[in-house]
Amino acid sequence: MDYAIEADGLVRRYRSRTGVRRTAAKEVLAVDDVSFRVERGELFGLLGPNGAGKTTTIKMLITLLLPTAGRASVLGLDVVRDAREVRRRIGYVFGGDRGLYERLSALDNLRYFAELYGVPAREQRGRIGELLELVGLTGRERERVESYSRGMRQRLHIARGLLHRPEVLFLDEPSIGIDPVGARELRTTVAGLVEAGTTVLLTTHYMFEADELCNRIAVIAGGRIVAHGTPEELKGNVVDASVVEIETFGADVAVLDRARAIPGVISVDTQDSGQAQLLVVRAQLGVEVTRSVLDCLAGLRVGRVAIREPTLEDAYVELVRHA
Amino acid sequence: MTSLRLILVAWWLQMKMRSRSAFEGVLGVLWPLFFATTIFLMYRQSASGAALIGASVGASAMGVWSATSTTASSALQSERRQGTLELLVAAPASFPMLVFPIALSMTTVGLYSLVATLLWGRVAFGIPITFHDPFGFVCAVAAVVISIALMGFLESVLMVRYRAAWAIGTALELPVWLLCGFLVPLTLLPAWVRPISWALPPTWGAYALRAAALGGSPWLDVLVCMLLGAVFAALATALSHRLVDSARTHATLALQ
Amino acid sequence: MSQTTSSLRIFFYGGLTSYRALFNWISPAILVPTFLIEPVFQVLFFVYVGRTAGIGNARFFLIGNAIQFASIPCLFAIANTIAEERRFQTLALLLVSPARRLPLFLGRALPVIVNGFCVAAFTVGVGALLLGVSISAGAWLPLVGVLAVAAFACTGLGMLTAAIALRVRETAVLANIVFGVLLMFCGVNVPLSELPRWMAASAHWLPLTHGIAAARDLAAGHGGAHVSDLVAREAGLGAGYLALGTALLYYFQYEARRHATLEIA
Repeated sequence: MDYAIEADGLVRRYRSRTGVRRTAAKEVLAVDDVSFRVERGELFGLLGPNGAGKTTTIKMLITLLLPTAGRASVLGLDVVRDAREVRRRIGYVFGGDRGLYERLSALDNLRYFAELYGVPAREQRGRIGELLELVGLTGRERERVESYSRGMRQRLHIARGLLHRPEVLFLDEPSIGIDPVGARELRTTVAGLVEAGTTVLLTTHYMFEADELCNRIAVIAGGRIVAHGTPEELKGNVVDASVVEIETFGADVAVLDRARAIPGVISVDTQDSGQAQLLVVRAQLGVEVTRSVLDCLAGLRVGRVAIREPTLEDAYVELVRHA
Repeated sequence: MTSLRLILVAWWLQMKMRSRSAFEGVLGVLWPLFFATTIFLMYRQSASGAALIGASVGASAMGVWSATSTTASSALQSERRQGTLELLVAAPASFPMLVFPIALSMTTVGLYSLVATLLWGRVAFGIPITFHDPFGFVCAVAAVVISIALMGFLESVLMVRYRAAWAIGTALELPVWLLCGFLVPLTLLPAWVRPISWALPPTWGAYALRAAALGGSPWLDVLVCMLLGAVFAALATALSHRLVDSARTHATLALQ
Repeated sequence: MSQTTSSLRIFFYGGLTSYRALFNWISPAILVPTFLIEPVFQVLFFVYVGRTAGIGNARFFLIGNAIQFASIPCLFAIANTIAEERRFQTLALLLVSPARRLPLFLGRALPVIVNGFCVAAFTVGVGALLLGVSISAGAWLPLVGVLAVAAFACTGLGMLTAAIALRVRETAVLANIVFGVLLMFCGVNVPLSELPRWMAASAHWLPLTHGIAAARDLAAGHGGAHVSDLVAREAGLGAGYLALGTALLYYFQYEARRHATLEIA
């Protein structure tokens, strides 16, 4: 079976030196025995909180980091032994402001990377024009990158990653800091690429993005894969519950504990949004807990109350909590 | 040849970036002129004719090194800060072929300084710019520029792990002026220094410059300069591969 | 607390802060090349060039370059303080404080001046050893005194550059240009008598010129009224620049409040 990406027991340790005299060298296990497979033409999501090991895993796959143990291959090529061949066939796009030459125009940036990736000289102009069109930067390409907004830089990153028509595209948190419209355009572009046959590995911590785009997802937390499957399968882990969301103010630990003690309640979490709290209560399907929870909140201000189906985010929180 | 094209495109774009900083551009030319002026003022007290021309030529070569030494040491660190170092490594192109053009762009700025120094010597001090062998002189200049670029290349690669790289780069400026005998004949330096001088390609480039300017054949010196340059190139290339492998093992490509 | 006491406290606390800030990032890796290797090589370079050109003597170049190199930081101590404050966005806070400007900025410049001092002393010592230059024992103490005066004069000019730095952002370019101007004009490597008339005339209005001349006399074993005269001129120039710079600083602040021109952030 010819997989686009195969990770087999990947391990990555970091040694962090503390201080000048290296008195205590801490060892951090960033990626701990990660294995997964991505098929050709698939859009695979690597989901996890900050520091889970997503970026480290991706960097091992794109040959920027050598694995401490384990193996990985992209398009059948080993990432350590055949690094150069791997690099020819993959694209790497990451979010954020860095990674572009500020003093150069977008066009010059693309020319440079086109050269780096061996795009034949006579194809460069056409290809660059095509990509600028695709990401919506036509007409702005002669401006210097230093004047670009975050969204424009992100789009330029994507153009850069696609110059050499990679078979596999790695996107590392591409929509971070992008406005909703921009992010939506990004997702459309990515979906279009997958439809055209490119394999995409996407890391993100935006649940709805993973839910919307990915064929399959692996959830990574604390350096380990804690779950993998299609979004439906993952949601299935929590489908036997319903979720009640209650906006409240000033619910303390005692109140939460009382809510947890209600029969039928699986878990109670709070999310802070400004001054208010959002109480997220998961309860067994069929058990009506709303009244009882509201009783626990007697005396406190209560805002919106909603009952909904569990989402991928709920599944994710569950998975990550147990990691 | 795609490698040559890659070096040219990379060099060209680096030049574009460098030309957009007033600091590097103006100062790159002005700074060596301060020293050149001082030197000319010193020389005209006692020297004339050939000695003055020699001083002018030597001072002009000094400018090429000045433009390179400080910037080269922190070149890769600035790529790292911009977040582009990772992208350079992740690309299929050979890493050393991307670093060399960076150094070459610095020495190209140094070329402006070289010309400016010669012109300044002519305009302000009446030192003529008539050379015995103009074509030889141009070739010698090319040899000096390329060999200093190769030294800058080596410097970039060596210094990438040191946070204080800029300090070492700046401190290297004057010692290399002395070691390569741009102005001061090697015979005046302590004997134990000479082997070090002879191992540096620009030393031979400087010999070639003076020969072409004052009478004599520069060609043997140009040849030695280029051969030594090739050695530096090989050394820098090998080191850069080791550097990248080490960075991939210890995850230092992205660290600030 | 009296005005004087508060000013003194500002002077010394500011100095301590600046010292910590300066030496927090200074490691041997930076210290050795910048403060030990560079100045010695500057001396060696000009000594050898002098020998090639057949002019001057080792002592001449040693004193000139050591003092020039060590005094330059004093020129930029205050301007750098302002640049640092601007970078950390505390400049506005500093300027709205009631602290008097002079002790405030001078205090911040203090460790840099002391540092420059040490660098000059080190350079002269090492240079004298390497080049076989003899400096009479009795001359060392007066030399230290002259050094202090030269550093003070540069600091005075530094107040002026700081005022300009308040308005202009590219202080690094300015710094390098001033280094070069002082190198060419102040008799560091070329005696004033050999300079074109207009350069020598300008030199008399710049710091370092008289200080270097006085130091050379002392190192050669001469003393007396001539040296005192030179030192007095150097000190006078320093005081003059300090006054001018301080006045300009207050003016720019005032103007900034009126026209929002300070680029404080």
